Amino acid sequence: MINFNRVIAMIMRYTINMRHNLDRLSDMFYWPLMDLVLMGLTGLYFAKMNINNPHATEIILTGVIFWWIVWRGQYEISVNLLSEIWDRNLVNIFVAPLKISEWILSLLIFGLFKMIASSIFLTLLAFVLYKYNVLMYGFLIIPIALSLLMSGWIIGFIIAGILILFGLKIQTLAWVGGAILAPFSAIYYPLSILPAWAQKAALFVPSSYMFEGMREFITTGSMPFEKFLISFVLNIIYLTLSIWFFIAMFKKSRKLGLGRLI
Amino acid sequence: MESIVLEVKNLTKKFGSFTAVDNLSFSIKDGEILGLLGPNGAGKTTTIQMLLGVMDQTAGNVFYFNKPFNKYREEILKQINFSSTYISFPMFFNPLEILDIFARLYEIPNRKKRIDKLLHDFEIDHLAKMQFFTLSSGERTRVLLAKAFINYPKIILLDEPTASLDIDIAVKVRKFLEKEKKEYKTSMLFTSHNMSEVEEMCDRIIILNHGKIIAEDAPENLIKDITNAKLELTIENDTKRAFEFFTRIKMSFEQDRFNFKININEKRIAEFLMSLGKEGIQYENIGIEKPDLEDYFLQAIKGQNL
Repeated sequence: MINFNRVIAMIMRYTINMRHNLDRLSDMFYWPLMDLVLMGLTGLYFAKMNINNPHATEIILTGVIFWWIVWRGQYEISVNLLSEIWDRNLVNIFVAPLKISEWILSLLIFGLFKMIASSIFLTLLAFVLYKYNVLMYGFLIIPIALSLLMSGWIIGFIIAGILILFGLKIQTLAWVGGAILAPFSAIYYPLSILPAWAQKAALFVPSSYMFEGMREFITTGSMPFEKFLISFVLNIIYLTLSIWFFIAMFKKSRKLGLGRLI
Repeated sequence: MESIVLEVKNLTKKFGSFTAVDNLSFSIKDGEILGLLGPNGAGKTTTIQMLLGVMDQTAGNVFYFNKPFNKYREEILKQINFSSTYISFPMFFNPLEILDIFARLYEIPNRKKRIDKLLHDFEIDHLAKMQFFTLSSGERTRVLLAKAFINYPKIILLDEPTASLDIDIAVKVRKFLEKEKKEYKTSMLFTSHNMSEVEEMCDRIIILNHGKIIAEDAPENLIKDITNAKLELTIENDTKRAFEFFTRIKMSFEQDRFNFKININEKRIAEFLMSLGKEGIQYENIGIEKPDLEDYFLQAIKGQNL
């Protein structure tokens, strides 16, 4: 049974941390802003070069905004775990009656809120800077964002599983781990551009279907349902496996003692 | 009859071929303060981690309130708590925020009232809105202790609770712990390197070495087992002869100019002083230091016969 009072307590813990910590605020707004400005200008430049694609700017901006959702999902899981280790607070929270499932749920809900905040910020910015309207996807934006967020959570739980076992010596994974999916997600380019082996690998990457689908929407005006479906099914399977992996690593780490991580 | 609130049976922790805790069994009664002593690497922290459920044991069982910890984890964790100098809190949080988060985690009714009382009891009211990283180590320790009492714990595990505290604050903390024990029958498992504190606070002591219990009793009973006292003599005129005499009769002693500290069986003190008289060695001052827990601890660790 999940106890929501404890889930709320942990969400408050991470919210207060974000409020006090400039690092956490900057990763929410500063880096997405920089990405959007740089990549958006690159898109405008491509458009002016008469590249054979009138949608070049839109495709790049879509990639920037929606990849941030994947990144946000991954980052919130792994960095919030790291913050417990940095703060030497991990033992404190697990000698309280907090269950691992409640902690996971708090990370997911907190990640969802931060994703929404970051996305609103980027949406407004993209409109102001480039007259690019993300809301052209209509209500489809909700399942698109959820699917991509799940992809981020998957990487987040895998990284968190490694971090809870190996601790700070491998903490850099929290920042670079997500990048492993990026080339196979076909964020800014079509899958067909990848070498054959990478195209095969991309078939197993749920986010590749979403980015392909969004590009199709930009050019044809309709979203391919089957791509959506495959992405969702893969996400649900992988997310289940990644949470299972994290819990297994947590138990393995507890055998060695959580106190050693602080 | 006092009931047993914590029972540890054959607790063992192995890391590969190394045995950190070896078949440990003990219990704590309602309202009892048990001291856990031992040199570094004796297995104290490993034991505490297993008792808190943040480390899995290789073998053995832990029962709180007659219930197995592994089956009633959530229910039991609501009733116990912990403080240690090797843990901390989020650096940018203030004590008010820290205590509020933990009060929520433990689902404490009337959170504000409880937090205000703890801030007052540990004399940290004035620090309530200061960020944790700006506090001194003694102030941080008091915030850690306040958190440890947030849930009115029936059992509290305290690892070096008064380390880094000023003497006056350490005394106040000890008084607070005694008051909690008296008013709420809070049981405590207590580790400290301050032997006089352990002697004063604990009803019973367990000494661990290499993961095993090497002694267990009330502090006064343990001290009784020690027959050697420290005899301090100031000998200004016959210093050289005294040195030669002590060496000749193979006494264990330390010399600092005119002062001699002699390790001697309490029952032999009178006979020894008479022998000094016979040798014509005169002493100016005499002092007898009764054995204390530190003496017992050092002898137990050295494996000397008691």
